[in-house]
Amino acid sequence: MSSVTLSNTAIRQPNKVTLFFRYLRRNPSLTFGLLIMLFLVIFTVHGLLTINTKDAYPLAVRPKMPPSFQYPLGTDFFGRDLYAAMVIGMWQTAVIGVFAGALGTIIGTIFGFISAYFGGFIDAAITSICQILIPIPAFLIQVIIAGSIDKRSVTILTMAWVVLLLAWMGPTLVIRAQVLSMKERQFVSVAKLSGMTSLGIIFKEILPNLLPFIAAAFIAQVFQAVFASFYLAIVGLGPVREPLLGNTIWSAQTQGAFFNGWWWWPIGPAVAMILILGSLALINMGMDEMANPRIRRSE
Amino acid sequence: MQKSFKLISSLFVAAMLMVSAMSFAQDLPDVPRNQTLILGWDLSAAVVGVTNPWALPGYTHQRGNAFLWEPLSYYGIFKSEEIPWLADSMEYTSDDFTSMEIKLNPMAKWSDGVPVTSKDVVFTFEGQMNNQTLPYHAAFNQYVESVEAVDDLTVNVTFKIPAPRFKFEVLTLKFDTGIPIVPAHALEAQEDVNAFPGGLDMPHSGPYNLVAWDLNQKIFDLREDWWAVEAGRIGVPEVKRIVMANIGGQQMDNIAQRIVNNEMDAALDMRSSVIKSIVEQNPMVTTHSGDQPPYGYLDWWPNALWMNTQLEPYNDQRVRRAMSLAINRELLDEIIYEGAGITTIYPFPLYPALQEFADSPAVKALEEELQPGLYDPEQSAALMEEAGFTMNRDGLWEKDGETVSAIIQGFEQIHSDIVPFLVEMLRNAGFDADVNFGADSYQNMADGVAGLYMFGHGASLIDPYAALELYHSRYSAQIGTSAGNNRFSRYANPEYDALLDEMAPLGADNPRFQELAAEALGIYWKEQIDIPIIQWLHRIPYNQTYWTNWPTADNPSLGENGAFWAHTGMLVVTNLKAAQ
Amino acid sequence: MNFRLLSKRLLFLLMVVWAASTITFFIPRISPKNPVRERFAELARTGGFSPEDLEVIVADYSQRFGLDKPLLQQYGDYMWGILRFDLGISLNKFPKTVMQLIYESLPWTIGLVFITTILSFILGNWLGALAAWPRSPDWLKNIATSFVLFQGVPPVLLGILLIFFIGFKLKLLPLGGAYSIGTVPDQSIGFFLDVLRHQLLPGIALVLGSVGGWVISMRGMGVTIQGEDYVTFAEHKGLGPRVIFRDYYLRNALLPQITGLALALGNLVTSAIVVEGIFALPGLGTMLNSAIRSNDFSVIYGIVLFITIGIATLMVIVEFLYPLLDPRIRHQ
Repeated sequence: MSSVTLSNTAIRQPNKVTLFFRYLRRNPSLTFGLLIMLFLVIFTVHGLLTINTKDAYPLAVRPKMPPSFQYPLGTDFFGRDLYAAMVIGMWQTAVIGVFAGALGTIIGTIFGFISAYFGGFIDAAITSICQILIPIPAFLIQVIIAGSIDKRSVTILTMAWVVLLLAWMGPTLVIRAQVLSMKERQFVSVAKLSGMTSLGIIFKEILPNLLPFIAAAFIAQVFQAVFASFYLAIVGLGPVREPLLGNTIWSAQTQGAFFNGWWWWPIGPAVAMILILGSLALINMGMDEMANPRIRRSE
Repeated sequence: MQKSFKLISSLFVAAMLMVSAMSFAQDLPDVPRNQTLILGWDLSAAVVGVTNPWALPGYTHQRGNAFLWEPLSYYGIFKSEEIPWLADSMEYTSDDFTSMEIKLNPMAKWSDGVPVTSKDVVFTFEGQMNNQTLPYHAAFNQYVESVEAVDDLTVNVTFKIPAPRFKFEVLTLKFDTGIPIVPAHALEAQEDVNAFPGGLDMPHSGPYNLVAWDLNQKIFDLREDWWAVEAGRIGVPEVKRIVMANIGGQQMDNIAQRIVNNEMDAALDMRSSVIKSIVEQNPMVTTHSGDQPPYGYLDWWPNALWMNTQLEPYNDQRVRRAMSLAINRELLDEIIYEGAGITTIYPFPLYPALQEFADSPAVKALEEELQPGLYDPEQSAALMEEAGFTMNRDGLWEKDGETVSAIIQGFEQIHSDIVPFLVEMLRNAGFDADVNFGADSYQNMADGVAGLYMFGHGASLIDPYAALELYHSRYSAQIGTSAGNNRFSRYANPEYDALLDEMAPLGADNPRFQELAAEALGIYWKEQIDIPIIQWLHRIPYNQTYWTNWPTADNPSLGENGAFWAHTGMLVVTNLKAAQ
Repeated sequence: MNFRLLSKRLLFLLMVVWAASTITFFIPRISPKNPVRERFAELARTGGFSPEDLEVIVADYSQRFGLDKPLLQQYGDYMWGILRFDLGISLNKFPKTVMQLIYESLPWTIGLVFITTILSFILGNWLGALAAWPRSPDWLKNIATSFVLFQGVPPVLLGILLIFFIGFKLKLLPLGGAYSIGTVPDQSIGFFLDVLRHQLLPGIALVLGSVGGWVISMRGMGVTIQGEDYVTFAEHKGLGPRVIFRDYYLRNALLPQITGLALALGNLVTSAIVVEGIFALPGLGTMLNSAIRSNDFSVIYGIVLFITIGIATLMVIVEFLYPLLDPRIRHQ
């Protein structure tokens, strides 16, 4: 960001908030993505404040009711209020995604930095470990691990750990590549010449410039995490009782919801999942634009 | 772009060439659809193309091999009748059930023209006695003294101890149990019979040949020279070809859709709600009970919540009883089964003979006294307090800081409709319940881990002995060892054992037997060895667009059930009539 | 293409194989399950098995499969087997070997995964390039964006919806299976078309789900390329927009994307495992799924290994093809 503002110093500088909104106007995918995200957050927070948690579990309400005033999203075969299930499910899905995504990204960023900054043997070791692990299909390993854990200790958080185990290599390689290219840029050389310490350079100069990439890596990780938790639900692993979005979709499927005409059962959580992931993808696309100075030049 | 399209098309052609390189034995004649029966079944879960019944652990009689192999006798459960097959007769020749004479049908022939003789029977029996990897090795070892061929068609069996149930349990094929007769001349030549896959050419006595298979389907064609037609056992089968199509991994409602669209004539059993929708959406589809609930027939596998009774806190009768009192069976019937009375209090299926036992005055009196199906949360709570538990902040029973682990081990495909309800009922009563549908659930049951196991009692069919014997202490292995199938409770009670030991040599029509059985059932209820939940139903959709005369309640045929994958599947198929 | 690089890459390949096989070997062994017992227990569940025998049988077969040996020795045997392309015998589907099982199911997976990967690659990159190209109309950009949204739909869910609406309600395409039930496979065009028809719905489910990823990355790439001097130069030379788009812009932007192709294949395999099941396609995914469910170790690691080696090999091949496609790069 600093590089952009640098070139604009000649003009009178509007305040940052105005700049941000102006930028959003030029970046529709980011705007759109953020708006959906905002809506989802409001929905979930509002829901969490109003619903009764018990309604998200079986035997709570009258089963198999289509959407009505009392149950805006209907109820399912097991007697769950689908509105309550969706609110809790969104919250839990977000926890898994953000937890696994954030940790994966943080680990990746640290390794990427270490690798690029120190070079030599450490760099070679970290990159080859990443390259060797990347072709191994993470999902399969997750299945094997998730299948070996004691079921009583499987919670939302253990799910996140399982997902995390093989989710840090991607960010590591991305961040490493970016740091390497940035090391050669002028502003870093300038900073070095002006006598900044290595840590100072990392935190003051390189890290801010990397933020869009870190954010993109984070989003990619969240994606992987949500998909992985869904797939694990499909093979019968993970906390099956919890109304995670993936679990609700899958239990609708196992009871033949579409075929039996209970269309409202899978639709809600499916739309929620699509909105969460779709908005992330849009934000990701928008971030790309932000991270790539050339896109701005062309506009 | 053009280049890449070329690339795609060449890749595609390459892939196709690989596909067609798959193994199909010979050029098959065309059989029109109205002479072809299409059955949906999971071919992915076991090896396809193994036909030798002694090839273990790969062989299974399911997935169509039951069309190839025949027993001495079948049993038609809904008519309570033996159906003599390769044997014309099979009789105990002594009153104390220690000897037996088997007379074979003189017309019986293998598919290569060699007659089925007493040599094959002796070979089959001695194989079970000597080859310890075969499924009935232990039963033969326990009971059979010697097997002897008197002449080409007569075999005499001598037992070590009275074996009143040996004929039915081992020598008769029904459901998934019993043994078929195998050809001596084909297996003798094999160095290792357990490793011999059999393949397409293995001589067999059943009416169909396996003619082609891959992972997508198995094709069986009718053998025109099947001995049973000449012998007058049955008319010429109208099904000329059976195609068993793979549905492995596919979701049940997708399979239901394929049946509604007439793609398949029958497929494996369905959950209650799905089969109702099938019948509603395609009037040509019927079920065992027509278009009425419960849309299926009674299977032999009533399900209970088992537990390891050697483990804290399930070793306390009060805890087991408290769990049972938390289950509202009426509500389950209403929500899941549309009011059809599927829930049960018995460890055996209510087939005619067993229904009679359940209705006997002695059993009725016990039921009145012990109330095994009672739902009473207050009494449940009182029992838990008596057992030293206190309610913690989460509303769960706790003792020494430990909640009662009530994780239900089960199988998603068959239990996904009921187990979530059980979990919630137990939770509401203060038990720390959850569900595990993972691949390890069966192993957990066998290992006896803490928790509950949703599993059936695949035992009794015509008398209650087999089901009650599941709780005999000789199967109550120590913790740390693996429990046998259907015997997860590890229950030990000398008084109970004594009753069973006295029953063992008695025939079921003996009044003393009935008396002892009622007493044992009383202990089962009183001690709450496990928590019986539901009778098991097979809800198989029968599509009558191409085939009629499916075995139903109104049309019991030979008394076989509609499970085309079970040992009696051959009887189902050969009795079908073409609709077009 | 020099010798040093080649040996370096081969070493990489070996390392991948070693890592994958070690991980797949040890993780299942950590859990205390005995796959042989589990297999027989399952047999006992479906067929008549007298349980007293179970332990005897289990011991017998454990010996046969080498499961009674010390872990390290098993590991050694296993590695030695892999070097000879011998992945062992299936526990569940005895007496078949793992290689036989892979060979039986591979064609369906290759057909599906390969074709969908390449289709989504082409579609995604084309849309991505157009989305970044300043001259493309707005509606095209919007289509590209909507594909990005589609990324959020798990292919399994798409598959279920496609089966219900297109297969069941409209009866346009088959609901599942690898080819029409009862058909005998042969080399005819008719059979190929039948197979193609059956792969269409799962293919669409997988393609729709994976196009978005390519759109995003290609778009970023395309924008970068537009700023390159050679594009400006071409514009000044007076070349038509079509020529510039095709020869200068698309070509150069596409190159880095190819590197991602092998990896994308890996991601798609994951989706394919689940999607194959939904459509009852008897491919590697279905085989793997049933192996996981029955704890058939040798098949699980056989397939995981097979997929891993496949992806790694493709990565190496792509790396070697790269200089052929881009004359600027020469391996030193």
